[in-house]
Amino acid sequence: MTMLRHAATIAAKDLRSEFRTKESINSTLSFSVVILLLFAFAFDPSPDMIAEFGGGLLWIVFAFAGALIVNRSFARELPNDCIDVLVSSPASGASLFLGKALAAFILLFGIECICLPVFGIFYNVTWWRSLGGLLGVLALGTWAMACTGAFISALTVNLRLRELMLPMLVYPILIPALLPVMMLTNTLLTGQPPPSDFTVWLRLLIGFNIIFTTLSVYLAETILVR
Amino acid sequence: MRSKVILALGAIGMPLLIRNLYVLMFLVPDDMEQGPVYRIFYYHLPAFLVAAVGYLTAMVSSVMYLVKKDQKYDAIAVSATEVALAFAAVNLVTGMIWGRISWGIWWAWDPRLTWALISWLVYFGYLMLRNAIDDPTERAKNSAVLSIFASASVAITWKAIEWWRTQHPGPVLSIRTGGVQKIDPAMENMLYINWLALLLLGAIFLLVRLRQEEVQREIDALRRYAHAMN
Amino acid sequence: MDERNITYMFYGLAVAWGLLALYAVLLGLRERDLTKQLETLRRMVEEKK
Repeated sequence: MTMLRHAATIAAKDLRSEFRTKESINSTLSFSVVILLLFAFAFDPSPDMIAEFGGGLLWIVFAFAGALIVNRSFARELPNDCIDVLVSSPASGASLFLGKALAAFILLFGIECICLPVFGIFYNVTWWRSLGGLLGVLALGTWAMACTGAFISALTVNLRLRELMLPMLVYPILIPALLPVMMLTNTLLTGQPPPSDFTVWLRLLIGFNIIFTTLSVYLAETILVR
Repeated sequence: MRSKVILALGAIGMPLLIRNLYVLMFLVPDDMEQGPVYRIFYYHLPAFLVAAVGYLTAMVSSVMYLVKKDQKYDAIAVSATEVALAFAAVNLVTGMIWGRISWGIWWAWDPRLTWALISWLVYFGYLMLRNAIDDPTERAKNSAVLSIFASASVAITWKAIEWWRTQHPGPVLSIRTGGVQKIDPAMENMLYINWLALLLLGAIFLLVRLRQEEVQREIDALRRYAHAMN
Repeated sequence: MDERNITYMFYGLAVAWGLLALYAVLLGLRERDLTKQLETLRRMVEEKK
């Protein structure tokens, strides 16, 4: 499909540009590590405490990192009116949005994969017990964040207080995805047996992703065309 | 014409509100378990219902704006959201005060309270976004889209919190069953009548706010005209 | 206990009315501000004609 091909091209462009300069990756990564450090001081968690809120803690770090990354998604196109060029190109608004969301997803997922061993070291957690499930849940949560974040990024790209408005708008909207992903990550991170209602959470997470991806793709054209 | 409607609504609504206050303070019987404090409920629940109507109106209006591109839908959306936020704030704070006596705590991560707080924040973000965009058409378009997103999120959040809460049992009394297990017919009627009164008040707020949006648009047009005359 | 009960009832009712009154006041302030702006602009346009 043309739309997917365009989206892939745009995602590739973003990733290529990011890997050349590494400005966003480096700063986000260091920021995440610092936050993990701060949490270690704030809570000084014991293994029992980690079993209770390790997943939540990790996802707060990822949420902050995610805000930084998606903020860049559309903001990087502001200099030289690149965004007008992109919007007027044959690529539809939907594919432009998808490409950005995809690039943000890949970057964020990469950062999360690097944060996991750091988390394991700082907090003494063997996090690889249910690795497959953990990565799957991480991917779902990251897509929710990347998709919603990229959309709100497009919405706020022209605003003066973009860096402030983006997290303020994204986090409350993201709560129905953060809730399940935090719970699931918590369980899978510490190798606990999955709770009896974990399918409910999984369905909620997947449902959120489907609904918001659809909404975003459908409405992307509206907000990007001036 | 609209001023007449506002005055008419006011003529019915304000006396009704005052009459209701009198009735609910003195004439309706005490709740057996909770005592007089439960009377807060007569504002707590109707306020929530008015807020919900407001949120719904905002969502429908936002969709209509995107379809029809008529500015009046944008005006309705922002007015409805603002009024809904005011009533939702009433809902939240009265809930906290009631909870302080009923549960002994100011706040509990009870499904409805949590959902109400999240919804309030989401729609407040909508107002924040509007404040940040200067161009009226951009503002209308982008806030309409955000409103749709907000509504979807709020709807899903409701389900999410419900499931979350069944995992971690909350306080024994939840708002719905709190003290109103056996609804005295007098109480139930009072509830509906106060809901009507608050709904009328909400309608008045909405119409006034709507008129202010139109005045704002007239001001913007005049300003452009004045600049063009230079 | 009973006295606190009634006190909190008053707080609750006061808050309900207070918040709604606050919003009404906000609307009123905005109304006054808008009317003033409108008059100033109308006068300005009239003078320029």
